[in-house]
Amino acid sequence: MSDIRDTYAASAATIPTLEARGLGKQVTSGERQLTILDDLDLCVMPGESVAILGSSGAGKSTLLALLAGLDTPSHGELALFGTALPALDEDGRAALRAGRVGFVFQNFQLLPTLTALENVMLPLELTPGRDHQQRARDWLGRVGLGERLDHLPKQLSGGEQQRVAVARAFVTRPELVFADEPTGNLDRDTGSAIIESLFALNREAGTTLVLVTHDPHLARRCQRCLRLDGGRLVALEPDEVQA
Amino acid sequence: MSTGSSLLALSLKGLRRDLRAGDVRALFVALVLAVAATTMIGFFLDRLDRGLTRQAGQLMGGDIKLEQSDPFGDDLRDTLRNAGLTLSDQVDTVSMVSRGDAFQLASLKVVDGAYPLYGKLRVDLGEGIIERAAGPAPGSVWIAPRLAQLLDVAIGESVQVGQRELTVSGLIDREPDQSAGFASLSPRLMMRLTDLEATGLVRPGSRIEYELLAKGTPAAVASVGELLTRLRQQGVEVEDVRDDQPQLGSALTRAQKYLSLSGLAAVLLAGVAVAMATRRYVDRHLDTAALLRCFGASQRQLAQLFAWQLAWLALAASVVGALLGLVGQAALLALLARFLPLTLPAPGMLPLLLGVLTALAVLVGFAGPNAAAAPAACQCAQVLRRELDPLPASAWLVVTVAGLVFGALLWLYSGDLGLAAALLVGGLIALVVLWGLGWLLLALVLRLATRFGARGGEASRALRLGASQLARRRQASLGQLLAFAVTFAAMAIITLVRGDLLSAWQTQLPADTPNYFAINIQPGEREGFSDILDQVADTRSALYPMVRGRLTAIDDRPAREAVPEAHRNDNALKRELNLTWRKTLPESNRLVAGRWFDTDTQVAAGSVPISVERGLAERLGVGLGDSLTFTIGSDSVTGEITSLRDLDWDSFRPNFFVIFPPGVLERYGHSYITAFHLDAGAHGDVLGRLVAAYPGVSLLNVDAILARVRELLAQVTRAVELVLGFVLLAGVSVLYAALTASQTLRAHESGLLRVFGAGQRLLSRVQGVEFALLGFTSGLMAALLAEGAALGIYAGWLDLAPRLHLWLWLVLPFGGALLIGVIGHLLSRGLRRQAPVQSLGLLGEG
Ligand SMILES: Nc1ncnc2c1ncn2[C@@H]1O[C@H](COP(=O)(O)OP(=O)(O)OP(=O)(O)O)[C@@H](O)[C@H]1O
Ligand SMILES: [Mg+2]
Repeated sequence: MSDIRDTYAASAATIPTLEARGLGKQVTSGERQLTILDDLDLCVMPGESVAILGSSGAGKSTLLALLAGLDTPSHGELALFGTALPALDEDGRAALRAGRVGFVFQNFQLLPTLTALENVMLPLELTPGRDHQQRARDWLGRVGLGERLDHLPKQLSGGEQQRVAVARAFVTRPELVFADEPTGNLDRDTGSAIIESLFALNREAGTTLVLVTHDPHLARRCQRCLRLDGGRLVALEPDEVQA
Repeated sequence: MSTGSSLLALSLKGLRRDLRAGDVRALFVALVLAVAATTMIGFFLDRLDRGLTRQAGQLMGGDIKLEQSDPFGDDLRDTLRNAGLTLSDQVDTVSMVSRGDAFQLASLKVVDGAYPLYGKLRVDLGEGIIERAAGPAPGSVWIAPRLAQLLDVAIGESVQVGQRELTVSGLIDREPDQSAGFASLSPRLMMRLTDLEATGLVRPGSRIEYELLAKGTPAAVASVGELLTRLRQQGVEVEDVRDDQPQLGSALTRAQKYLSLSGLAAVLLAGVAVAMATRRYVDRHLDTAALLRCFGASQRQLAQLFAWQLAWLALAASVVGALLGLVGQAALLALLARFLPLTLPAPGMLPLLLGVLTALAVLVGFAGPNAAAAPAACQCAQVLRRELDPLPASAWLVVTVAGLVFGALLWLYSGDLGLAAALLVGGLIALVVLWGLGWLLLALVLRLATRFGARGGEASRALRLGASQLARRRQASLGQLLAFAVTFAAMAIITLVRGDLLSAWQTQLPADTPNYFAINIQPGEREGFSDILDQVADTRSALYPMVRGRLTAIDDRPAREAVPEAHRNDNALKRELNLTWRKTLPESNRLVAGRWFDTDTQVAAGSVPISVERGLAERLGVGLGDSLTFTIGSDSVTGEITSLRDLDWDSFRPNFFVIFPPGVLERYGHSYITAFHLDAGAHGDVLGRLVAAYPGVSLLNVDAILARVRELLAQVTRAVELVLGFVLLAGVSVLYAALTASQTLRAHESGLLRVFGAGQRLLSRVQGVEFALLGFTSGLMAALLAEGAALGIYAGWLDLAPRLHLWLWLVLPFGGALLIGVIGHLLSRGLRRQAPVQSLGLLGEG
């Protein structure tokens, strides 16, 4: 691991937000062993925006979960904010994420019993501070749900739920946001609005973005595009990205 | 999927798939629990009930006792035997028994080979006291030690009974069937029926009572009910096991009521468990229903499909639960044999059926309406956006159907329609009140949490987060609050009532309960007798004058015509009643209507006020203001009822159905009666003095009856403890089931909090706060519910004085917090360790 860091330290003098080397994930289902990720390398610097593309079942969600420390790799090295993840226990990984990492799940993962506002407030409540509600309101307003604060997830459409999930990921002003298809359910206009707020944050606060997407529009806005194929990441030129 | 059979196949497949899902497993477990608990408690209650009845039967000598002054005919015997009853003949009489120059009046109990139908005799055959399940052999007699003393006779020597010489082969310590008949005033001599004729005691005009005792199953006893009524009309004295046991009466009925109350509590808990588990099941089925509907299934098909699936589930759970109940009941038997020295009759099949029925009813009541309403309500468009929930119409349907089902179960268990209806209505009102209260409490918690939790370290953050999580989960939390409140309240009530019952029983028969009755004390002897008693007895009742009179008219109509048809053969009409007079209300009597006579003015004015026992008044169909006419000797006295009283039949003191004011009955012939307590050590000496000084006074020892009643109370107490244990166990299982059912949601939550960066310690604290708050709040609500319910149960049902239980308000909230906290903590320990991908189900079953 140290040699990777040296390389980047020499070139950028900053600690990468995310770096992985030789990352692999295998699962056994029944008798068969399935290799989802195989010897994967990735380095994301602070403030960078990275899009990950790939066909369905390629392992994008698995990769994102691994990078965020929600799951443990089968082998390989992985560091988040300069701290090696596999060496940490569940608690250590959580502590590393607290307030610094936002996550938009592909299936949203909103709590069905909480209102939109309460869902967005949830991560804030782990941190001290008193203006939680206001901040959550602001973010819901930014994703266009200022009028739906008290609605339960099941009373919202798929796209609306997705926007709640996006608001929840950004509400803590994290340094790094993982988003699994954040515009997957949205029409072009709403999608664009979300994309704008993502990149506004990226510009203003230097938030690092790691996005999984099928949306070429979103992918082209990112500084780097990567394709997950056969368990490895391959760099793409922006113009290689098409609908 | 159009034909019935393919629907059946589909439903079976559905069930198999269902069992993979957590919520169905929870429902399945809850159902199994419900069936097992109800069958087991049902079995237990059934057997215990029959065991207790048998105890009462033992005291009486059989389940049925017929008595008349002529021998019973063979036709009657055949009829009774054909009904499945075992018979025993007995003859009671009083006769002189002699040995040499010594003569003594003895009360003879002449028994056959079948005696005793219940229990065993304790007898000394020369080598210490042993138990025997038979009377003396032909040609020999067993006698009371007192008789042996009076006649100076030892075992192996003989006594003269009438014209027959019989060998004394044993000294009776205790008879299993010792009733308080006045025949037992003289010491006992027990002999065989085959020897009776030779004694020549059976002559026309001799005072002989023939008794026919019968023993059998409750069904057999019930089957001869009509015959018994006919016999009563023919003048035969008929005693049924449940009547005429006043000493045991209230203790037994209270115990039985307690047991059925516990049965009800078990059913209630089972209902709660099933209701908790059903919700998620139904929720998920709405989705399936919606999908199938989108694929083109008709409403009818969906309704049928779910009906079948529910039926399969109920069937599978019933079989497993019933088996468990049977096994549990067998295990119980082993326990019972150790704790409960009652010989219990074999289990009936009814409880098994009842358990299965209960589970089915509970399942149909709670899950049925939802499952049935779901397909009707769901339309594809709504479905996919899950806007179905809550379905207002079906919510009401659930409450109605579940309420009706539960009401029917209440009726079944209590056998009292009025009570069931009252309980149901009361329960619904309580539920609404609790719902509102729970809603308010949750709102308050949320308020406090958002207001005060903002600053401070991790501990206060956990407090705020836990509290707001709980309060925000609204419906789910409210449901749990209600379920836990009901569970805690059920556990508390059963515990409360047990405590109060036991202390009522303990105070009922204190150590100095009178064990002797003295009757036939002449007015001239009153002072002297009373003085001796003051010196020797540690407690004694007042001396009551006693005048015997026959009730002949009610409101100027012949008494037999005036009373309701059902009670025309009441003993009060057939026999002379003991009347007394008194200025003040006797000890341990309670006025329940009217006023006690205050002055003699009423008497002077010509109308005589009288006080009547409530039960008698009810049987005679009379109340305040009615007049009763008694024939005393050749005279008659009329009194107007001005008050009704309740008596403590188990007080072992003289009790009177009718009390006159002083100044009315004095001119008639009367004697006095009193009851007193003598220590075991003092008996012989003091009794000797009393008998010597007052030869005309009869003394009746009720030690044996007292011992029986005490023993019975001890057994019932143990039974009550055991049942309490069950109910508590069932309660804890409900908590466990309910918490398990809510586990998926909690897993989701804790997984998310983990993603947001919460550590294990914070998660554990948040959940701890949540569980403790849940337990505390539901404990508070349970205290309210329990207190209210206990008030109603005591006053309205168990006939105990209502009282407040302040400690409830401490124990329930804190105990609840602790209990839920511990169970919840244990259950979610695994969750906190999981990686978020697992608890969120990011991949896999999601
Ligand atoms: N725990 C597991 N057990 C078995 N198979 C798994 C497990 N986790 C992931 N997989 C498999 O790994 C593959 C990659 O899954 P993943 O969800 O990462 O794909 P994806 O690229 O996000 O696809 P999509 O674009 O459809 O969301 C899938 O085939 C999935 O079935
Ligand atoms: Mg995916």
